[in-house]
Amino acid sequence: MTFSAKHSLPALALLGLTLGSCQPQLDDNRPAADAGQLNFSSYVAVGNSLTAGYSDGGLYNEVQAVSYPAILAQQFAKTGKGPASFVQPAFSAAKKDGSGYIKLQLVNGVAAPIQPSAANNFLGEQVAYTSNNPLLPNELEAYTGAQPDNLGVPGISVLSADKTASSTGNAVVDATTRGAAAQYGSINNFYQRLLPAADRTTKDYVTYIGQKTPTFFSCWMGSNDVLTYAVAGAVASPTNPFSGLTDTTSFGKGYRNIINAISKNGTVKGVCATIPNVTAIPYFNTVTVTAVAAAFKAANAASPGVFITTGTAAAPVVRLATSADLLTLTAQGVVATGAGSLPNNPIPNQYVLDAAEITTVLNRTNQLNAIIAKTARQNKLALADMFTFFNSVAAQGIVTNAVNNTATFASGNIFSLDGVHPTPRGYAVVANEFIRNINAYYGSNVPTVAPNDYRGVLFP
Amino acid sequence: MTVKTLLLAGGTLLVSASAASASGFQVNLGGQKNIGMGGVGVALTLDQAAMFYNPGALAMVRDNGVQVGVNAALARNAFIPESGGGQSTLDNKLVTPFNFYAGFGPKEGKWKIGIGAYTPFGSELHYNKNWEGRYSLTDINLRSIFAQVTASYAITPQLSIGAGLVMLAYGDVDLQKDVPLTAQTGAPTPHVTLNGKAKQSFGYNAGIYFKPSDKVSVGVSYRSQVDAKIENGDVRLRDVIYSTGGNFTATNFSATLPLPATASVGVAIMPNDKLTISADANLVFWSAYRTLDFTFSGNNGYGDRAATATTPAVVGTPGLLGGSTTSSAKRYYQDALAFRLGGQYKVTEGLTVRAGGFYDMAAVKDGYISPETPDADRIGLTAGASYEFGKRFGIDASFLFEDFLKRSQSQSDLLNNGTTDRVAGTYKTTIAVPGVGLYVKF
Repeated sequence: MTFSAKHSLPALALLGLTLGSCQPQLDDNRPAADAGQLNFSSYVAVGNSLTAGYSDGGLYNEVQAVSYPAILAQQFAKTGKGPASFVQPAFSAAKKDGSGYIKLQLVNGVAAPIQPSAANNFLGEQVAYTSNNPLLPNELEAYTGAQPDNLGVPGISVLSADKTASSTGNAVVDATTRGAAAQYGSINNFYQRLLPAADRTTKDYVTYIGQKTPTFFSCWMGSNDVLTYAVAGAVASPTNPFSGLTDTTSFGKGYRNIINAISKNGTVKGVCATIPNVTAIPYFNTVTVTAVAAAFKAANAASPGVFITTGTAAAPVVRLATSADLLTLTAQGVVATGAGSLPNNPIPNQYVLDAAEITTVLNRTNQLNAIIAKTARQNKLALADMFTFFNSVAAQGIVTNAVNNTATFASGNIFSLDGVHPTPRGYAVVANEFIRNINAYYGSNVPTVAPNDYRGVLFP
Repeated sequence: MTVKTLLLAGGTLLVSASAASASGFQVNLGGQKNIGMGGVGVALTLDQAAMFYNPGALAMVRDNGVQVGVNAALARNAFIPESGGGQSTLDNKLVTPFNFYAGFGPKEGKWKIGIGAYTPFGSELHYNKNWEGRYSLTDINLRSIFAQVTASYAITPQLSIGAGLVMLAYGDVDLQKDVPLTAQTGAPTPHVTLNGKAKQSFGYNAGIYFKPSDKVSVGVSYRSQVDAKIENGDVRLRDVIYSTGGNFTATNFSATLPLPATASVGVAIMPNDKLTISADANLVFWSAYRTLDFTFSGNNGYGDRAATATTPAVVGTPGLLGGSTTSSAKRYYQDALAFRLGGQYKVTEGLTVRAGGFYDMAAVKDGYISPETPDADRIGLTAGASYEFGKRFGIDASFLFEDFLKRSQSQSDLLNNGTTDRVAGTYKTTIAVPGVGLYVKF
């Protein structure tokens, strides 16, 4: 560009205004959105609460709308090969708050997470409980819309998803577990609401997802095969066959059946995800032994520390906790009433994940993740390693456009108020990690989202 | 004339420079004639602005005079984030750096004194609402007015020296950003404004001018670093969420911003009476700018809680912003070179035309670009003209167009440098600066 000298001032001023209004335009050199070999025209998501968009201890429309499958579908659409619509099983507008969700409320001027319940009128939330099914007291309004593409069912595990999975070698146990998986639609209120009444006692989840004919799928199953046990302080419920650690044989069988059902025996492309390290989530790292011990010490200088219950229900062991023991987020409530301060009033077992239990849970997680990785490899599916990803988030947080999101409870913006499930910001970050792995494996170029456009925790 | 009256003169104008028209947040708009010639001036004696470019040359400026120049800087900026949305721009705003000089001395005498006021550093940028970098910066307005007294002495008819006392007479800064917290009530995103005035501080400049023949002159000059020190600046908070108030108790801040030294050399040739061609090189010692550190203090009471039936009254921890009493952001600027070339031609007795250009290198290193200074290597092209009436009064016009080279940084660059307090993406800036000056000679 050259300028000839202008001799008169008005001409110069005019030149200035003309050039001054010249807004630079950047060529968007970011690689164009491209589906590559993939066809996203019918994207189906299989999974548990993480896939359903569960957050703050509940499934409700606001966060379901920004579940990671919904974000993925939105980003897939940018390639021009994406789904025209992605159906999620939302609650009706008048019952938009679904199962209700934990809110921060001011208690004596300090924000505290409050669980909705009938006693507190569900915090004014518009919940979807029908309260007219004595067999399933927490029954939710049935979903009656179009066949959903987001098939995430909060609470579901691989073991409970497949009525043929259980293979412990104990015929009685297997029969019970398989039977429960077949009737899972009458046990799990989130699964029940998706099924027609006639299917609720017969159609297991593998059969249910087999009804879909996706062109691309995601499968993030398995967390509840370890998480349910871990969040209960490694105490399995004798009445719930799905409350233990799933054994590797049963898991392998169930997981392969799930992948076969949704991938049409390996003919549909997709992405699998591994089980995150459940001991790295805020649920186990917010109420710490150190902090509780310090509080006891402040109240009573002679306090020797925090007494916990470990061992089995048959042979409980009461001992002083060490920093290697994890307390659950829910331990806050019993600690507030004095539990843990004296040997005759220890913190109950279900609030404690002791060092040995942590090792057990972690070892099993690694074993199950090896099965997931192997199944993905055998079916030529992409793998999103969420175990590694969430370990990294827990260790150093994840920065999104100058915002340092961390795994700290509430203020970290990634994890919601249940300490387990992500916030919308967390789901956006998860969606980006899926996209990164899909692009890397299939050579596609699905654009990522800006996580800051999705909220973290809402503060009062 | 005192500093105070100079400030009054400055106060009638909006003083700041847009997006900085030289590396970092330096503004190279010292004199209207020089601006038209690509910003050269170390080896020139065009007018009283010599005291800015090279105080050593002031003694060789033929006439006494008073002059004032005003520029209208129009910055345009585009940003594309590495991930997420599309291009965002600036909310455009016109800013007006100025310069004023008065030089006196005995006719044909050996010495000359002068006073001046100018705006060598500044930056004003207002990003679009909701742009990707809003948690790093939404607005910056950095302004400075320097005042200078200068004495220059011609040791021989060929050699003169000069020095000046430089004062940061006025400086202020206004930095704003959003806080990444969301309110249950749907209230707007919390917003922080840091606004403070710099303490007056002093520096100097000095120079040597040598003109061995009618055809050639050379010059060197140096301007010292001046620190803009802000004490008790105001922390202003908007829409702080009640339950997070305990982390946002600060009312005041202090910070220091170095306004770095500059060394320059120049050469000019005058093949005939009508034509002057000059080249300068400047080295700005930006490496003095290592970190931008804030210290917060005061207590606005946002963390205070009244006593309840079961809990005692709580007094919030003072001096917190975002839960911390200090903040430190890496700048790690590098020394920046600029090369300038310009010429003027006297077309008629009254009319002189000018043209020039420069290449100015970035002070901000790769992977350290922050929204407050979207610095990049830049190319400038300039033009100018003067018309003189009856050898006493004159009007200068100048035009400067600067094109910043496109500059990108990725999130992995930021992670590697520990500079994740800013955003990954690509910046592109252009600045157009028309200017006009008036002078009287006697």
